[in-house]
Amino acid sequence: MSHSTVPRSRAEAKTTDQQTAPGPAKKRAASGRRTGKISFRLRFRRDRTLILMTLPAIALILVFTYIPVLGNVVAFQDYDPYLSDNGFVAMFESPWVGFENFQRIFEDSAFWHAVQNTFVLFFLQLVLYFPIPILLALLINSVVRPRVRAVAQAIMYLPHFFSWVLVVTVFQQIFGGAGIIAQTLRQHGHKGIDLMTDPGIFKFLVTAEGVWKDAGWGIIVFLAALSSVSNDLYEAAAMDGAGRWRRMWHVTLPALRPVIALLLVLRVGDALTVGFEQLLLQRDSVGPGASEVLDTYVWWNGIRNQDFGYAAAAGLIKGIVGLGLVLTANKVAHLMGEQGVYKK
Amino acid sequence: MTPNSATSAPSRRSFLASTAVAAAVAGGMPLLAACGGGNDGSKDGTTSGKDAQKILPTFVASSVVTPDIASKNGSAAGFTQAIDLDALKTSVPKKLGSGSDLKIMSPFWGSPPANDNAYYTAMNEAIGVKVTWQNQDGNTYDEKLGAILASSDIPDVVVVPGWNLNGKIPSAINAKFADLGPYLSGDKVKDYPNLAAVPTDAWQRSIFGGQLRAIPMPASYVTNIAPFYRKDIFAKKGYTLPKTPDEFLAWAKEATDAKAKVWACDDLKWTAFNICGVLNGSDKALWWDLRDGKLVNRIETDEYLEALEWTRKLYAAGVVHPDAKAVKGDASNRFTAGQSLVFNGDLSYWYGSTAEQRTQKADFEMGAFDIFGPDGGDPTLWATQPAGIFTFVSKKASKQQIKDFLALADYCAAPYGTKEYMLTVYGVEGTDYTLKNGLPTKTTKGTNEVNGAYDYTGDPAAYLAHPDLPEIAKLQVEWQQRMGAFTKKSSFYGLTITEPNRWTNLANDFEQLEDDIVRGRKKISDMQQAVSDWKKKGGDDLRAWYKKLLDDNGSTAK
Amino acid sequence: MTAVIDKPAADFSGKPSRWAAPPRPAWEEEPSRAGLAGKGLALTLAALAILFPLWIVIVTSLQSRKTIDAAGGLVVIPRGITFVAYKELLTGGQVQRAPMVSLGVTLVGTLFSMAVSVLCAYGLSRIGSLGHRWLLMLLLATMFFGAGLIPTYLLVQALGLTDTYLALILPSAVSVFNILVLRSFFMGISPELIDSARIDGAGDWRILWTIVMPLSRAVLAVISLFYAVGYWSAWFNASIYLTDQDMMPLQNVMIQLVQKQERPVGLATQINTGQLSPLAIQMAVMVMALLPVAILSPFVQRHFKKGMLTGAVKG
Repeated sequence: MSHSTVPRSRAEAKTTDQQTAPGPAKKRAASGRRTGKISFRLRFRRDRTLILMTLPAIALILVFTYIPVLGNVVAFQDYDPYLSDNGFVAMFESPWVGFENFQRIFEDSAFWHAVQNTFVLFFLQLVLYFPIPILLALLINSVVRPRVRAVAQAIMYLPHFFSWVLVVTVFQQIFGGAGIIAQTLRQHGHKGIDLMTDPGIFKFLVTAEGVWKDAGWGIIVFLAALSSVSNDLYEAAAMDGAGRWRRMWHVTLPALRPVIALLLVLRVGDALTVGFEQLLLQRDSVGPGASEVLDTYVWWNGIRNQDFGYAAAAGLIKGIVGLGLVLTANKVAHLMGEQGVYKK
Repeated sequence: MTPNSATSAPSRRSFLASTAVAAAVAGGMPLLAACGGGNDGSKDGTTSGKDAQKILPTFVASSVVTPDIASKNGSAAGFTQAIDLDALKTSVPKKLGSGSDLKIMSPFWGSPPANDNAYYTAMNEAIGVKVTWQNQDGNTYDEKLGAILASSDIPDVVVVPGWNLNGKIPSAINAKFADLGPYLSGDKVKDYPNLAAVPTDAWQRSIFGGQLRAIPMPASYVTNIAPFYRKDIFAKKGYTLPKTPDEFLAWAKEATDAKAKVWACDDLKWTAFNICGVLNGSDKALWWDLRDGKLVNRIETDEYLEALEWTRKLYAAGVVHPDAKAVKGDASNRFTAGQSLVFNGDLSYWYGSTAEQRTQKADFEMGAFDIFGPDGGDPTLWATQPAGIFTFVSKKASKQQIKDFLALADYCAAPYGTKEYMLTVYGVEGTDYTLKNGLPTKTTKGTNEVNGAYDYTGDPAAYLAHPDLPEIAKLQVEWQQRMGAFTKKSSFYGLTITEPNRWTNLANDFEQLEDDIVRGRKKISDMQQAVSDWKKKGGDDLRAWYKKLLDDNGSTAK
Repeated sequence: MTAVIDKPAADFSGKPSRWAAPPRPAWEEEPSRAGLAGKGLALTLAALAILFPLWIVIVTSLQSRKTIDAAGGLVVIPRGITFVAYKELLTGGQVQRAPMVSLGVTLVGTLFSMAVSVLCAYGLSRIGSLGHRWLLMLLLATMFFGAGLIPTYLLVQALGLTDTYLALILPSAVSVFNILVLRSFFMGISPELIDSARIDGAGDWRILWTIVMPLSRAVLAVISLFYAVGYWSAWFNASIYLTDQDMMPLQNVMIQLVQKQERPVGLATQINTGQLSPLAIQMAVMVMALLPVAILSPFVQRHFKKGMLTGAVKG
């Protein structure tokens, strides 16, 4: 639990790190809140402002997320929203089928295939895609000329605002069998290439598209974290004789660590969600064998057929796995001395 | 790292684009529906024969305008002469509407006009209604429809395209929409002469849940998938039209010049099905046919595998445009740009593409070749359903509202050459269209306003008319008539059938498998495996269910 | 000592060109040539990988159908310029109103979302406060369990929000992801600062307003941007909850305009003008979607200057 993304110096940073060790560290007690032996009433009086502040968001979430989430009971039904005049009432009239929807999902080999594709894609993206925004942020942060920096940043954000339809269109026009590269090769007497319909490299293609579209956008949070690093720290480190690389190692990276850990934990929890729209768009290009992931599977087999119970069951499975993953990842983050998403 | 992305769900627009031929032309493999008897919506089955006779409207042919080419072999009627604007006929002699308010929800492709535009106002005035159009994005329409029908507050009138009749929508239709039988069955339809002229085949399709619930948009039953070729390029290069599948392949290899960015054809799977005589795929009920006393499904036939194998050969030979392999972009654009010389698409492209190209290239010419049989002889073609888009009225609508809606449908169903037709299709003279060389031509305003609304809420029997390119209408109708001569109707032609819930999704994956096979990602043997799985998982039970339906109801075909 | 070092601020005076490097602090060593070259190369490559496709997109949006057909797709080298695609986009009935709708929804929505999220993030930023863990779990769980379309629609309808702009704001007002990022930055603020304020008698409202928020300008800018971009580019809620076409935001209108070229086959009664390529329309929509970003991003970037906010208490 590094309280601070702003270690004050190398020496102090060290003590900050030590706070992560369990036990009532002095500094933590000062600002963190002791949960120890204070009575509930006292705690309430002390923290009521904080609770009050969370209320608007909590209320919105209760109304617009939790109430409709209750609709997921249809996972145990053969839900037909049109049985009654109103879809809510129909929930009470639809027949209960127990775990039949779940059974249907687990018995479908296409489901397991989609899960496998999902995880392969997730790991590819974690290894090839996740670090890139960090590197880009460091690169941009090291540029001192303000105009160069501004221009570089502005350019890198742009692809985020291309819709997936357009990204895929542009990739098809460049890398497709009749694309710019293939035609150039043919003009010079070579064979054309078609990178868009090859199931073998499809997962790399998807990752590359993702990097192109969103890596530049992904640097924003890291840049914000970097911007909070005081120049004092660099100066102090330089005085201590740290060179360029050691400053990056001992000042810059520690500043980014909590953010990296947070995003990593959230990303792991989201492992079962990989580029729904992107993959749906390219499903026909390579076939479901290479492209079907969990979300597209649910779309084709549940939502498109209005098999609401089936879709809800798949959603529950996905939610439980995601929650399990995020809790595990958070635990790992704690063990590595990071705050992660929450701390017990 | 896009925090709000979870709230903006993915684009179904792209989904539609990617399956354009499949979803739109074929009706997206709808699990079409209706039911035997009950009103409660969950019943499966169909209504035909005597039961249907009781509720179907009486057919009274329209005599207002005589088409230049009469319908034959199931073709549309053709109007090949410009409308004589000075001698417009009248098919609705007196205003039938009584001024009810009607909210109409309809899919719309493009950017809809404001509700108070000149065209809508003129239509309201002429019909005697006050319509508020709720034009909804056509490509997310199925989702919106699903949600709105689940609420207790639905619009008075709802348009539902056949390809949106998926999953549980048929049961929603039976639960939420009114029986129009009391207003239209038998001779009652004669109050609405233009509706009485709608063919019985189309009305038969409007029987949902044992009741006449919809106003249909009639269509020709001849296959709508035409194999188009670039007549101008064929002439320039001296190609002759191939007459057999083998000839086609040989020609395609010769005509493909990838270096010059020219490929012989686009995806021809649908044409391959027609060449080989595969049962029509546009509606699941049409997949079945009675042969030697046993119901056979299209996926079990040898013709089906032959068609896939021939298409696979085209892909393997590299004569298919690579973007077609990737299912990206638009086939008709590749065709008009000269990147592919043959493509198959809806017959309407004949006019659409020609009209569009002629504004730039006066010598652009395309044709549709006659579908040949597997040995080059006559083909066997199978009929598609004779109606594809339906308009329903809410159960909560008042009697007066229903009557006023029927007045609207009657007005919109006016035939070519009437003043009602001119207003419905071209809008207000001087505002929405002007006369150019004696032909009505839409203004920019007209293009934006007279577009979509009133297109599906009532239509006359299938017809083709292009006053600006009359020869195309003639060619289209003649093609339909030649192909119609080879067209047979399968056992469940013309019926709206609701399959039992547990089997509705059984055959959903076959289309994907077809595409995998023709593109070389899967083998023909995978299809044989899938068919045998299908039989075990319920295909054989479904066969028995259909057989019983056939024995109980009899077939409308022959 | 509270050190606020805003070194590059000197550049705003404009004397030394902003293209030039600001004076290097004494402690920083001169960069090596190889290092500079490497950085330059990496940046140039990254920029080219983005600019080349962007160039093609812009050029294609300005070409006639003839040129696009001749190129067989996206155009690399322009041949003449025509604005026919943009004209088509701007003459649609709703295009005048839709940008205002989008702007309004984005402004109001972003302000509302920020207020709610900042409060919530601060409220949860004190580890060990009452209910802190439960509330956090309550938020976290929503990231993994979604509701189906139909229950959500029925709820929004039951609340009477259909056909109101609130339906575009309230259901998507809170992003748990954004709250977590805000919270993680708030927790990074030096505890000593907060404690000393508390000793001076400041309550939580004042601490949030006078200490936490000023010190978090960078992350506030980032999260505002996230929300704004989210509202600006959202279209699904509008397509489901609004039936009145005059209320549609820009994104929906744009999608519909692209679709004009794509109505299902068989319904294709409308002819496009032969000069206009559907590809050009698509690309023009793309360019128009990028415009606000290009305008907006300099404002956000100002907040990412190194050392802009420090506020370390020493000693």
